[in-house]
Amino acid sequence: MSTATVPNIATKTKVIQARNVSKVFTRDAFQVKALDNVSIEIAGGDFVALMGPSGSGKTTLLNMIAAIDRPTAGELLVLGQNIFTFSDSQSAKWRNEHIGYVFQTFNLIPVLTAFENVELPLLLTKLNSQQRRDHVMTALKLVGLEDRVHHLPKQLSGGQEQRVAIARAIVSDPTLLLADEPTGDLDSNSATEVLEILRRLNQDFHKTVIMVTHDPHAASYAHVTRHLEKGMLLPA
Amino acid sequence: MTLTSFVRKNAFRNLRRSILTVLSIGFSLLLLTLMMAIWRNFYMEKGSEESALRLVTRHKVSLVFSMPSYYREKIRAIPGVAVVVPGNWFGGVYKDDKSGNFFAQFGTDPDEFFKVYKEWKIPDDQITAWQRDRAGAVVDSELAKKYGWKIGQRIIITGTIFPTNLELNIRGLFTAPQPTQAVYFNQKYVEEAVPFMKGQQGFYTILASSAADVPKVNRAVDDTFRNSPQPTKTETEKAFQLGFLAMLGNVKAFILSICGAVVFAILLVSANTMAMSIRERTREVAVLKTLGFTRGTVLGLFVGEAVVLALIGGIGGSVVAYLIGMGAAKAGGFAGALHVKVATMAVAWAAAAFMGFFSALVPSYTASRLGIVDGLRHIG
Amino acid sequence: MAIPISYNIRNLKLRKGLTVMTALGIALTVTTALFIMALLAGLQKAFKTTGNPLNVMVVRKGSTSELTGPFPADNFGTLKTLPGIAKNAAGEPLVSGETVVVIVLPRADGSGEVNVSVRGMMQNGLALRGGVKLAQGRWFTPGQREVVVSESIHKRFSHANVGDTMEFGKGSWQVVGIFDAGGTAYESEVWGDVNQMNSDFDRQGVYSSAYLRATDPVAAAALKNRVGDDQRLKLDGSLETEYYAKQTSSGSVIKFIGLLVAAIMAIGSSFAAMNTMYAAVAYRSREIATLRVIGFSRPSILTSFVFEAVLLSLLGAAVGIVLMLPFNGMTTGTSNQVTFSEVVFSLQVWSPWVIGSAVLFAIVMGLAGGIFPAWHASRREILAALRD
Repeated sequence: MSTATVPNIATKTKVIQARNVSKVFTRDAFQVKALDNVSIEIAGGDFVALMGPSGSGKTTLLNMIAAIDRPTAGELLVLGQNIFTFSDSQSAKWRNEHIGYVFQTFNLIPVLTAFENVELPLLLTKLNSQQRRDHVMTALKLVGLEDRVHHLPKQLSGGQEQRVAIARAIVSDPTLLLADEPTGDLDSNSATEVLEILRRLNQDFHKTVIMVTHDPHAASYAHVTRHLEKGMLLPA
Repeated sequence: MTLTSFVRKNAFRNLRRSILTVLSIGFSLLLLTLMMAIWRNFYMEKGSEESALRLVTRHKVSLVFSMPSYYREKIRAIPGVAVVVPGNWFGGVYKDDKSGNFFAQFGTDPDEFFKVYKEWKIPDDQITAWQRDRAGAVVDSELAKKYGWKIGQRIIITGTIFPTNLELNIRGLFTAPQPTQAVYFNQKYVEEAVPFMKGQQGFYTILASSAADVPKVNRAVDDTFRNSPQPTKTETEKAFQLGFLAMLGNVKAFILSICGAVVFAILLVSANTMAMSIRERTREVAVLKTLGFTRGTVLGLFVGEAVVLALIGGIGGSVVAYLIGMGAAKAGGFAGALHVKVATMAVAWAAAAFMGFFSALVPSYTASRLGIVDGLRHIG
Repeated sequence: MAIPISYNIRNLKLRKGLTVMTALGIALTVTTALFIMALLAGLQKAFKTTGNPLNVMVVRKGSTSELTGPFPADNFGTLKTLPGIAKNAAGEPLVSGETVVVIVLPRADGSGEVNVSVRGMMQNGLALRGGVKLAQGRWFTPGQREVVVSESIHKRFSHANVGDTMEFGKGSWQVVGIFDAGGTAYESEVWGDVNQMNSDFDRQGVYSSAYLRATDPVAAAALKNRVGDDQRLKLDGSLETEYYAKQTSSGSVIKFIGLLVAAIMAIGSSFAAMNTMYAAVAYRSREIATLRVIGFSRPSILTSFVFEAVLLSLLGAAVGIVLMLPFNGMTTGTSNQVTFSEVVFSLQVWSPWVIGSAVLFAIVMGLAGGIFPAWHASRREILAALRD
């Protein structure tokens, strides 16, 4: 566990507190409001689905929570910390320790095996190679891929690739698991597998899961579903 | 896996591109290593201990003018002079006038020749045999190997400068530290055949008694003949050899400009490769950053990759240069200047690593600065 | 059907960074090759254009140059009487007995000393070399310790201005004029009176060479043979033009090293160009498949990519040529391996032969770098490429 800088997160504490967050893009002469005065609170241990049509701002909100995007206005506390005051390297360290991120397109590194892909975030920690190996194997067992350890991404199916990506996201034992359309590129069987894993992570390991999706079936796994439209958060 | 092995895997992710890059850099470094070797051998090497003790005296105006034979005794009388022997360029043709059949022939005095060239190896009985035969000659063992000459064999050299042909009996084979590709014979042979060469010598090679005597002898010889009809110019053996090189033209500028072109070429090739592979991995960079890699680490990963490729090219190129140098050193003469020292190879590796590092800085820096959101959106 | 050229040009523009870097790499190689070819062209010009085809040059039999072994002056008397020799204005045979020696002069920039040829000639010597013009001062006077120097010697060496004195032989010589030899081998010489030179260099009674002017080309050939065949003379004749053309071999070391350097660099550049073209093919995999679906054939895809590679290398050649142009006409020196003296010549970048070879050289690099990737592009299966 590497959450030393963060106060103990009990269930039902607010892990995310967004107040009046706005994000405006300027494209040529146009101004696009990706997020318009969004305020949201998410409690520790929650499983939240963010839904909405394309361009509604749901991914933008997710990216802000991950400290990979910054708002033009407003305040966002994640795990009690104002992450927008971080420098670039501070936010990198922050992500490494507290955030697990799952992409729609898996984004595994093609030249690395499943094991090495999962190990990647641990290379930034002080763990020795034996400790890293233990963490990686635990994560891969959790997603049911302990027999695919030495396969390259191109030798795996889409569902397997996404499970490796989830293992990579949880290997450093983060508090928050963020998933951007994790089932968007998968067939329905694989999608169900992935969603079951997310549910287990939430129920058994008390991870706070925030998932962006436009698939009602995926959203049905969440405790809470919030909708965004044209950058605005619709009332719950 | 470690970050280092991650760098290594990335470096060979596109195998064909990596090989082409390594080959391209390798060929450039082959050239760079050879140029550095030439520079070192010509301008930085002091020569052997024995060579540093040798001086060459020639006619002040030009090597093509001769000096009287009695100069030898006058030089011998100068304090600090241990031995002095005459030397005469014969400039004859062996077999035909092709440059492949060109080698140097010098007329000298067999009695004292090997007292000046002490470090050259030759059996004593062969020296004696040479001294006894007026038409005898000693030849460089490498040259003898080239033509398949054996001791006792007769070779004919056609004169071009002097109106006579030499029919020489090979009496000995010598081995010099660096092949000379030369034939030495008794100058009396030429003096007898060519009346106007009687009592004339082309140059004198002097062996000084000690290193401290070298500059003194240098001055004293030229002072002795300053006001005579044939004034002299004396210089160390090394300076004398460099004089021939200077005749080719501005060799220093030539080498430097080639090195400059090669260095730029490597920078371009390496930067080009890195720009291509970084561009293809824009999205991956964003993923790495999402996983918590800092800008610095990403920069280091890419720069490391460029250094790995450049180093492999550098090591390959310099090793080939080393082998070429070894082959050329056998050929002797100026080709011996291609001899590559291990220290020169090490400089080549450092240069390669340095160039890899610099070439990757700009594209890597740009990649490390790119926002994650933009990077994730990147297609291709 | 061929894919239009504008498609290639637009693609090169699209990926400006890569195009520029690859072209610059090729440009560097072209520059190196150009430099060496310009050197050789300059050297060749200096020797090839030297001499009058009607002049027969005579040296001692077996000797390969004017420097290597003099012949008795008595023979010169015989030479003068040979048939087929033209007459000068005064009605005398147009012949010159000459002495050539090599002296050491300090370079004007202080970078050491260089061997220079000094030629002593008869008054007719100037008439025999009608192509050489006086640029400053006047010609030397027979019987005086006077010399004229070539323009490049005037520029490159100290004490070589009109009015200066040069020290060589047994004393000092007055520089009275500067001549323009038009880039020929004479551009590297100092001229004076043959008798003065002979006494200074202890060469009384001998000449290094003799020059005879024939009445016409047929007479020149006959004269040349007659000199060689005459058993009494023990001399050899050759046309002056032939003699100097042969000395172009002085550039053989430069040529060998230069071509080697250019070849190694060219191989390196070809690999780099290949890299760029492979990347181009990879980026445009779908595009190529689309072109195939539309109906372009494999050969036209192949041609198009090869063409793009050649276009890239031509761009490099253009940059290389522009980079080298400022050096056109720059003078430099090397040593003549026949006379041991310095030959001064100028870089000839702007000559059809040099520019043509540079362009050809670049095209070869482009082809070498382009053919494999283009082949690869044309062989891809349409469906596989579309899935990329």
